[in-house]
Amino acid sequence: MNSIKSVNAVEPMQVDVSEENENAEEEPYIVENPTLDIETYTSSYHGMAKLSRLMFIADHCPSLRIETLKMAIAAVQETYNVTLYQQLHRKLQEAISGLTPAQIQALELPSYDVAWAESKMKKAALKLEKLDTDLKNYKANSIKESIRRGHDDLGDHYLDYGDMSNALKCYSRARDYCTSSKHVIHMCLNVIKVSVYLQNWSHVLSYVNKAESTPDFAESSNSKDGGQALVTHLQCAAGLAELATKKYKCAARHFLQANIDHCDLPELLSPSNVAVFGGLCALATYDRAELQKHVISSSSFKLFLELEPQLRDIIHKFYESKYASCLKLLEEMKDNLLLDMYLAPHVPALYTKIRNRALIQYFSPYMSADMRRMAEAFNTSVAALEDELMQLILDGQIQARIDSHNKILFAKDADQRSSTFEKSLNLGEEFKRRTRLLVIRAAVLRNQIHVKSSPRDSGGQTTEVAIPSSSGSSPRN
Amino acid sequence: MASSLEHFVNSVRNLSSEGSWRELYEFLGKSPDVLMRNSEHLDTVLDTLDPQQHSLGVLAIYMVKFMILNQSAIQNQGILVPEPEILINQVSQFITVCNGEQIRCAPDSFAELCNQFTQCLVEQEMPARGIVPLSKAIRKARMNETQLTSIHANLLQLCLMAQNLKPALEFLNVEISEINSENGYFDAKHFLLYYYYGGVINMACKNFDRALYSFEVALTTPSSAVSHIMLESYKKYILVSLILHGKVAPLPKYTSQVVNRLLKPMSAIYHEITTVFATNKPSSLELVLQKHRDVLQRENNWGLAKQVQQSLYKKIIQRLTQTFLTLSLGDMALRVQLPNVMEAEKLVLTMIEDGDIYASISQKDGMVLFHDNPDKYDSTSTVERVQKEVNICIELDMQVQKMEEAICTNPVFVKKASGAIDEDDGGRSSATSALQGAATKVPSFSM
Repeated sequence: MNSIKSVNAVEPMQVDVSEENENAEEEPYIVENPTLDIETYTSSYHGMAKLSRLMFIADHCPSLRIETLKMAIAAVQETYNVTLYQQLHRKLQEAISGLTPAQIQALELPSYDVAWAESKMKKAALKLEKLDTDLKNYKANSIKESIRRGHDDLGDHYLDYGDMSNALKCYSRARDYCTSSKHVIHMCLNVIKVSVYLQNWSHVLSYVNKAESTPDFAESSNSKDGGQALVTHLQCAAGLAELATKKYKCAARHFLQANIDHCDLPELLSPSNVAVFGGLCALATYDRAELQKHVISSSSFKLFLELEPQLRDIIHKFYESKYASCLKLLEEMKDNLLLDMYLAPHVPALYTKIRNRALIQYFSPYMSADMRRMAEAFNTSVAALEDELMQLILDGQIQARIDSHNKILFAKDADQRSSTFEKSLNLGEEFKRRTRLLVIRAAVLRNQIHVKSSPRDSGGQTTEVAIPSSSGSSPRN
Repeated sequence: MASSLEHFVNSVRNLSSEGSWRELYEFLGKSPDVLMRNSEHLDTVLDTLDPQQHSLGVLAIYMVKFMILNQSAIQNQGILVPEPEILINQVSQFITVCNGEQIRCAPDSFAELCNQFTQCLVEQEMPARGIVPLSKAIRKARMNETQLTSIHANLLQLCLMAQNLKPALEFLNVEISEINSENGYFDAKHFLLYYYYGGVINMACKNFDRALYSFEVALTTPSSAVSHIMLESYKKYILVSLILHGKVAPLPKYTSQVVNRLLKPMSAIYHEITTVFATNKPSSLELVLQKHRDVLQRENNWGLAKQVQQSLYKKIIQRLTQTFLTLSLGDMALRVQLPNVMEAEKLVLTMIEDGDIYASISQKDGMVLFHDNPDKYDSTSTVERVQKEVNICIELDMQVQKMEEAICTNPVFVKKASGAIDEDDGGRSSATSALQGAATKVPSFSM
């Protein structure tokens, strides 16, 4: 059906791209991508967050690959994560396999430091032992507070070491030893952190709920700065989880409640991340009124948008119905967004939603619209626009009909009266059908009709039935 | 005649004249051996007994004759084997003249007789001869019009074999609300066969929604084992659903688990067809159908499959009517994946004539203009129609209410309901709460 591809690469009804697909698709885009400055991008992160983001960029961006791998190796040497170090070096070797020796020299790559690796492993093992024995001692002494702290320390160490599942186990074990709500909240935050790294989103959401329902939470969130930071932290984590599970509207709501002054979460998200995620999700799912109230005139979110002026422009242009420029800017942002670890798989879906919303909003004031002008406004061809509109009409998002001869889109009023008659007649049919089925079923149950395999004769209920002739069945016993 | 046989005849005569059918029925239950042993005299006995007055006796004799017919040659040594041709004539005659009241006292034997009669006809490949007798048999055996008997299934089988569907339709159009248990003779198999054959016959007459309904009834039979009849019903259900609605509606929740667990994996081909159908690409559907052509032909579903293909084109065009006001024929041919404009025009023309879509073709521009449903529902016929439908629905509702009342006033139920209440606490005394409480605790009455 779609033999003509639109100029815009965003097709309606495109499913989520898989990682492999992205790799193939991204190659042509990356080269024209000078806007992403790796240093500043990753400076707002710390620890595992930084490393995972660097690795994601390395995997998906050939031009920046070597640089990011260098930075990642430098970062990983501050942790105990030796396995990751080895992995990164292997990737580096693969990346430079195509280059000449002279180029390799020029890159000043770090070499694989075997001594460092070994010493770190030993140190990690020693520390693990120490923490373990400490914990055993605390348990022997049965001091709740120290046991809890011991579990926490052990969890921290595992995290540093890169062993996420054990870290999660340790943090969860600390739960039994929490005595005050502050401890509970602290534990929840730890679990949330590790769950985010493990991408276990249901865990994240349940622990966010748990933290929010702690008795003293409401108090602390109103009183001091620490409380606000806590709220923001939880909202960001929840937003991230909803985004990952494709619940874009909920994600937008969470992100929009974050407070920029307290958005200092180097282990989770940067403020610009919050801005981008929140802005895009809101644009894709909020209607005009909500967009106006919660995004454009929101005092708190405005500060976030200052961090991403491009996104701010996009949202404003969308609101002012300047669709062509809005969509163009979106396209420009796309490359950078595809490098973001959490957003990349959702970029096509979000873009499609935004585009559909734009189409619907464009057409909403009109009784009839010239499809040629509409195609221009949306930077696409008339045929592709026709297909997009067809899909939207079938989904029921636009009430219209396409006049393909003159290329005009006519708004269509649903004739309430006729449709009511039709619906009621159909309902009558449905009622009759169901009642008759019910009567028959009552008869069946009354007579205890039941298909069972009779144990005696192997024939039982399994006589072959071939229409029109039926082979002679065995005489009834 | 041997003395036992004389005794038999006398008992039959006496009990019949007294009108004590129950005793006669029991007596006849014990007599097959006697009759078997004296098989050569059976015809003489038949002459002495009057089929009208002594229907039950005559019935027993015919049963024995069929039994002899079905036995193997070895068992029949020394016994006179009746001629199938003659036997069929005799039984047809008997069914026509027998006394309905007597027959209804021995429903299982009568049903068995009809069953044997059908089998014999099938083997002799003379199905048409049985249609009229069996129609009469059904009318005599059932207590009221809406009652289902096992003879129904036999009749449908013969009609299908004989390709004579009108008599069957007469019975199929009656809504079943009761089942004649025939003293335990009626079995799940007869029920399933009736609805399966019913579905097939409706399909042949192009009454697809009745067919779908029949198949659905067959599929929602309680079951704990796989029945081939249900399997075939399931496959046809899928295909008919695609033809009628363009998608497979999910089965009701009270369908037994056997369907989900066992039948679905066995019908993988049909599920494949469903998924391909949903992609709206006639070419892919064509490929899938060709791939499974052998299996489909073997299972006698090839004709249905071809109809599914036709309905895919129709579905695509109907989608187009919902989105377009006008469309060029070339575009339409492209979207429906038809080879050229002529085909597209022909298809649209057929659909307009069948009333599937409302459109007009302008050959000057090569355009198709789609219209809305022109029925504005503002004529007297609409009012009549709505009135009629409402009346039918009210009737049905009253029927269900009557059924509910019958259960509520059933002494067994009341006893169980009040018994359940006594267990909990003696406080509650209102009838409705008793019934509500009991409804959850008395599973045999729940649906």
